[in-house]
Amino acid sequence: MKKVKQRSRAMRFRQTLLSRYLLIILFAFLFIPIVFPIASILYVVIQENTKASDENFLKYGSSNELAAMWHEQASQLQENDAALIDRTLQQLKQTYPEASLFWVDSAGQTRLQLPPQKQLQLQWNAADAIQFMKASINQDPFTVVSFFGPDHSETGFMVLQLPRSIIQMERPLGTGTPLYIAFLIMMFAFFFLVSLLFFRSIRKRLLSMQAAMSLHGDNGLPQPIILKKHDEIGQLEMAFNDMVVQLQESKEREYEEEQLRKQLISSLSHDLRTPLTVMSGHLYSLKKETLSPSGQASVKQLGQKIASIDSLIENLLSYTLMTSGRYPLSLTEQDVLRILRESAASWYPLWEQAGIAAEIELPDEPMLHAVDKAALRRVFDNLFQNVTRHAASGAFIGLSVELFQQRTAIVIRDHGRGLEAESASKGYGIGLAIVDYLLKEMKLDWHTESSSEGTSIFIIV
Amino acid sequence: MNIPLLYIEDDQEIGSFVCQHLKDQGYDVRWQKSGEGAVEAAAGCKLVILDVMLPGLDGFTVGQRLKKSAPDTPILMLSARTSIDDKLQGLQFADDYLTKPFHPDELTARVEVLLRRSGSRSAEPLVVKHLLVHEEQNRVENRDTGEEITLTGKQFHIFSYMLRHMGQILTKEQIYEAVWGEAFIEGDKTLMVHIRYLREKIERNPAAPEVIETVRGIGYRVRQ
Repeated sequence: MKKVKQRSRAMRFRQTLLSRYLLIILFAFLFIPIVFPIASILYVVIQENTKASDENFLKYGSSNELAAMWHEQASQLQENDAALIDRTLQQLKQTYPEASLFWVDSAGQTRLQLPPQKQLQLQWNAADAIQFMKASINQDPFTVVSFFGPDHSETGFMVLQLPRSIIQMERPLGTGTPLYIAFLIMMFAFFFLVSLLFFRSIRKRLLSMQAAMSLHGDNGLPQPIILKKHDEIGQLEMAFNDMVVQLQESKEREYEEEQLRKQLISSLSHDLRTPLTVMSGHLYSLKKETLSPSGQASVKQLGQKIASIDSLIENLLSYTLMTSGRYPLSLTEQDVLRILRESAASWYPLWEQAGIAAEIELPDEPMLHAVDKAALRRVFDNLFQNVTRHAASGAFIGLSVELFQQRTAIVIRDHGRGLEAESASKGYGIGLAIVDYLLKEMKLDWHTESSSEGTSIFIIV
Repeated sequence: MNIPLLYIEDDQEIGSFVCQHLKDQGYDVRWQKSGEGAVEAAAGCKLVILDVMLPGLDGFTVGQRLKKSAPDTPILMLSARTSIDDKLQGLQFADDYLTKPFHPDELTARVEVLLRRSGSRSAEPLVVKHLLVHEEQNRVENRDTGEEITLTGKQFHIFSYMLRHMGQILTKEQIYEAVWGEAFIEGDKTLMVHIRYLREKIERNPAAPEVIETVRGIGYRVRQ
């Protein structure tokens, strides 16, 4: 069991970005000690392969071939036949015009020089010859010394000297040549490319993830990502997909709850209102009967109570819905005064009925603000309802636009007995709570001034 | 002849009361307690009053069926469900939506408006103060003198819009947008000019108008 775990951990490690990154770093460390020998080996291979072509390129073949030719010529000559030697050298000079040739006889005397060389010593002893040969090894000019005789046993010798440029390529193969540097640069470029590709693949996946997070599907949620690898980013993608699934589930749950709540509120509203409807129906029939003045007063009272219970139910249910975020507001730039006028228009007949004189002084110019029309109507309706229901004794309602604390405000004024006198038990509270909630949602400040002389409500626009 | 109405309501108490009230107002009410067979029952009716919470088929489904079979018959939804969602769902096919508890007079007023709008009531000329309005003939008559008052197209359009919203106060934006069919531009005096000319024609004394009332700071109103 443990082994399996270890194996899977090892496998997992191989799939990680960390392992790949370490591999690249390791590669970078090993780079110089490995690449240099590889480069050298490659050179040997290249050199071998290109040798033939090099030889073709050389005018007189390779140094070995020249040396062989020179030894061959010397083996066919004998030092006492000076005339033949001279002839042979002259012929060879014609074949190799760049070459310097001379020969030394057994007495150590320098004989024919082609061309004549000023610095060349004219008298040689054995030590001089050995010294000359030693000094010529791997030097420019390329020098071949060959003793005469079929087995090169004679003491006389002949010398061939050629500039190295003729027998070797101008750029001898080996370290430090431009090609070698190019190879190294290529290797560095390869390393750079690998790192870049590695980084790019990470970046690309991170970007695609970011795009997936900001792109929303039909349900307003990010779409799951298709998993391709199981490294760290793969795990992140997996976690992200899990999160999307959870989000989806919670959204569905929320939706179901919302539906349930709406259903509940609908049924509650229905169940509470049906008996109220029946009551008001009976009340209406009762009103048509001949009643004593006190009976009529009772009927009127009952009617008012039914109406106030109705609006209380309405407000209570709305408030529950609103505060649980079930009434999302859509704010658009609108003329607030127009909404105020429309709301006042629907209340006006009720004010007339209740004997409330309306004094409406609103400017013609629009007052624009980002509001939700239905919500603002609700605010005005609630405020007007309060005035109609609780401040009718003042027989006055005033609507105007005034400056309040240096800011423009819509003012709704009544001459009732003030908010203090109207206790929350009369249903004042919930209506104002709705007003407060909606105005805050629409980013509108409001302020109340209330005394026993009346109430003024300022909505600062 | 009494106007036939179909009333669908499952609650016995509310149903019998509303039924009685509408009968008292002179309507021929056919009351049924469920949505089954509503389409057949609605044949010949000038208006349908429909409750939302019904046993079996719910009011929304019944309403949609009724609208499909008789698109011209107005439907008034009568419901105890006041949520905006319910109202919006209802108003997709219904012509009006009244929430319970309602005042019986409001119900009859809305029924009248719907019938007038659908043309079922248009045969009768409308009496407004000293005027007699034959809406379908685009004709206004002075009852005092018996003279006919000639209105321009726009004037009649404005007046009939106000008549259709009898008793309601209409803001100048509402009237302008309903009659001209375009957004009201602040400071536009067109409507005021039209109303001034309209008053000169229909009012006994245009300086103290009785028919088209000005509600200061809000708009205009026509009352019976």
